[in-house]
Amino acid sequence: MFKDTFDKLCWASLAIVLIALLVLLGMNAGSEGKAASGLDKAVEREMAYHARVELIAKLYGPVDGLRKEGKNQEALLKLDELVRKYPGEAHGHILQGEILREMGALDEAVASYVAGVKLNGDYLDDKSPLSRRGDIQRLVDEGLKRIGARAAANPGNRTIAASLQKVNYLRSRLAGGCE
Amino acid sequence: MRITQLMRLFIVLALLLVVAGCKTEGKRPVVKIGYMLCNSEEETTQRFLPLTRYLSDKVGVDFVMVPVDTHDFEKRFKAGEFALTHTNSLLYIILRENEGVEIIASEKRGKFGARTAGAIIARKGSGIEKLADIRGKRLAFGPMLAPTGYLAEYDLMLAAGINPENDLAFYSIPPGSYKHEKLIYGVLYGKYDVAAAPVLDLETMAREGKIAPDDFVVLAQSKPIPYCTFAAAKGTDPALVKKVKEALLALKPADTAEVDGERLKVMKAAWIDGYEELPDSDYDPIREMAKRVNMPPYQKY
Repeated sequence: MFKDTFDKLCWASLAIVLIALLVLLGMNAGSEGKAASGLDKAVEREMAYHARVELIAKLYGPVDGLRKEGKNQEALLKLDELVRKYPGEAHGHILQGEILREMGALDEAVASYVAGVKLNGDYLDDKSPLSRRGDIQRLVDEGLKRIGARAAANPGNRTIAASLQKVNYLRSRLAGGCE
Repeated sequence: MRITQLMRLFIVLALLLVVAGCKTEGKRPVVKIGYMLCNSEEETTQRFLPLTRYLSDKVGVDFVMVPVDTHDFEKRFKAGEFALTHTNSLLYIILRENEGVEIIASEKRGKFGARTAGAIIARKGSGIEKLADIRGKRLAFGPMLAPTGYLAEYDLMLAAGINPENDLAFYSIPPGSYKHEKLIYGVLYGKYDVAAAPVLDLETMAREGKIAPDDFVVLAQSKPIPYCTFAAAKGTDPALVKKVKEALLALKPADTAEVDGERLKVMKAAWIDGYEELPDSDYDPIREMAKRVNMPPYQKY
């Protein structure tokens, strides 16, 4: 088999080709796996997001139903249960902010929106199915006008200043500022 | 001789150290705070004694708690029995208009922060679905000086063209303590058709599992108005008022005070979420209500 130099060269070339082939196959297999797992993760993320949106619709459905009937106080009581049961879920805080605003409690509405947005920035994202960007913009406009006027009329009042600071926080988040 | 002198010096120094280490409580000024009774003297004391001790610790004054019945409050305040007051917002306005008290801080509790609302409720499924349906029905009010258990609801009825004096079968006020809870239970179990319920009590009872959020229909609800309020008598040392205000606004959930050898969480004991600095003008909606309902301090005969 290895009688002369030509044989040795042939076998060496064959070995090099085989090794190169194996390396190439290995590399291809790795990159395909990575692409496949990346795709899986994106699908998983998408599925989890849709599942969350559906779960939110189911969990907070009774609250939305009461609001549609104009029963804001009953909705607020129902929501209180859910906010205590799922304190880390932003949606409860956002809904609470909407109801409190409708009921004339502007400072508390702002505080509730801030709590919600801090937990999940999706509510500021125009493309998210959960987006409340327009509502938050309107709240900020109203807050700057009304709470701003109170702050100007009561300089040194820490409570009003703290409320105005929360309005400005929402404003900065709308402008793209990070947490 | 030298050793004896050193011994004497040591004894004198030791005595001085002991004296310096003593509390000077007896020498601290004493200031009394009148607390309007909520449900009972015992409950009010349990709730607010830790807060009073906390204020003593923070302000360096020996505050003494004086529980006072709502209807005796102004009389006892005028008699100089206490310099600081803790009352509901209507009583604060009465004391402000009649005696010139100055606001210190407003109490935070419940969903509306330093404010809460009054609601007219009926039992779900009773057939009473809107405010106009309460004509000819049996209604329960809370105590007469309750801003969100009487005043706000009376005002809501007048605004809807319903005169509680003529248009109901009757109205009454439950006897004894825990009036707000009694009237809510009264509607739930059919003793009354409708009731004037403070939203704060609905929130608390729902949270405690005493009622379910969907047991009732809210027929009407007032705008949120300020509730419990600390104030100071006219002429109280401004430095003292400032210190009390600072201590109240700085109150945190982890703050504790000692009562009968036990360390208690002040906010938890008092059932509060803190204090806010509301301007007196935030109480104007209550003033307007009191004028419309012909209640003190604007009552006309």
